Amino acid sequence: MDGSIEFTMGLSDGIAWPWPIAVYLFFAGISGGALATALFVRFYKNQTENTPFYKAAALISLVTISLGMLCLVLDLTNPLFFWRILVYYNFNSVMSIGVIALSFYIPLVAIIALLALEEEVRQYPQLKMLLPVIEKLKNFRRPMEISVLVLALSVCAYTGFLISALVRFPIINTSVLPALFIASGMSGGAASAKMLAVSMFKEDLHSPDMKLLHGAEWPIMFSEALFIFMIAMSLFTGNEGMQSAFAAFHTGTWSWVFWLGVIGIGFAGPLLLNFATSHKFSHSAKAFYASGLCAVSGMMCLRMFILYAGQQYGI
Amino acid sequence: MSENLERRRFLKCLGASSLILAPLGCSSVKEESDANKPHYVMVFDQNKCTGCGECKDACNLANNLPAGKSRLLMEQQSGGVVGEVCPHCGKTECDCERKYVRVSCQQCKNAPCVTVCPTGAAHRDEKTGIVTMDAAKCAGCKYCIGACPYDARFINKETDVADNCDFCLHSKLAIGELPACVQQCRYDALIFGDANDPDSYVSKLLRVKDSVRMKPGFGTEPSLRYIPIVKLGV
Repeated sequence: MDGSIEFTMGLSDGIAWPWPIAVYLFFAGISGGALATALFVRFYKNQTENTPFYKAAALISLVTISLGMLCLVLDLTNPLFFWRILVYYNFNSVMSIGVIALSFYIPLVAIIALLALEEEVRQYPQLKMLLPVIEKLKNFRRPMEISVLVLALSVCAYTGFLISALVRFPIINTSVLPALFIASGMSGGAASAKMLAVSMFKEDLHSPDMKLLHGAEWPIMFSEALFIFMIAMSLFTGNEGMQSAFAAFHTGTWSWVFWLGVIGIGFAGPLLLNFATSHKFSHSAKAFYASGLCAVSGMMCLRMFILYAGQQYGI
Repeated sequence: MSENLERRRFLKCLGASSLILAPLGCSSVKEESDANKPHYVMVFDQNKCTGCGECKDACNLANNLPAGKSRLLMEQQSGGVVGEVCPHCGKTECDCERKYVRVSCQQCKNAPCVTVCPTGAAHRDEKTGIVTMDAAKCAGCKYCIGACPYDARFINKETDVADNCDFCLHSKLAIGELPACVQQCRYDALIFGDANDPDSYVSKLLRVKDSVRMKPGFGTEPSLRYIPIVKLGV
């Protein structure tokens, strides 16, 4: 007899998590992705100096995670209740575990950024009081970098686990979401840090670091596309609720966001800019920035699509 | 020789570890047995509900909710109102019988809202096992609202915290009364009681009537049960 009675109304008004949460997922992804990429490069090449890419990644990471936190707090029904999340914990809750990770991650990112920007700090006499602090912190640099790398990847994955716990929505309630958000966070984070490294920290467009990153970009992008394809296929071949959610890919406003934003701008954009243009143009600064902006916008569109289309198609 | 030693050491270790592990196995923390605890359930009898909506007004009054808001809704699923189309057959004039469904917190035994709540504001009351809110802990993150498979939670616009039907735990049950909606219902469409008490009216009712639960596939084990209108005969 189960199933002989159903209801379709709900007590909440519209969707529970609107765009500020998508922006938060985006910023947290950039922050974790940028720092993780920079640390991978640093460990891989055994760098000890502060490279422009490392500086840019540390700075971006700190700024984006702060902006992300701002989005998160402003989305609470009453932002003044924020302290409650910091005081009360529930270890069964993904969000609570994320708060613990973030409360270690954010201070560590601030320290990493401070160490990375040591030369810049030295240029400003007003910031002189920071120098002894930097000297002290330098002793713990390596262990801090390792733990922040783990935390950065955790934060990226956490943004996926956070929403994949919403069981009512087949698009969101998928197991590959954390992996997808790590991959997309790394490609978006690396792209934004690359752009900042070139524009602000005067990195050469064709330096070895940049070449390495260009090489890593495509496999990451491929895994991202694979994860999205996996979600779409599991919905397509899934049960009744999943099949109806598959409509998000071909009907409604959010299918446009998916095809134009995620696929068109996010994937086709960088691919065309790099492989379908003349060698001269594809190696120019213009193509570099355009392709970076494409990757970042595609990443934002992906978060918006997952969150909005996801919450639109409930079971 | 060495083989012997190895065997001896192996047996020794086996003995020692079993000595250590055995008491651990015996003294393992047991899940508190549910036998002595009440399991409060509510039964909604669709055959008796007329859709008058007085349960909603009673809810609003009993729980001091903002004007026009209640912790439950009535969804009309068939039967035309004069001048309006029937939600079931789509015609303005039809012979469909009016049919209503109560939409409210399903009081899951395995409640996703309690699991996801980062502060423990959405929690299970220790004494009664009822899923309720601690308004002083809720941060307003809306995680519980998104996680509820029944979309049965909402933000109280006056207090800015999440809210759900908790069988009037703090308003009516606290003073030994039945939930406000149950008291209000003139057609006996709502029955409330302790399903763990074999002598309670609700236990007896559930023994003789076929009742169903909403979306059982989610594995939430709701405590709200429905007696649906079924076609008579074969």
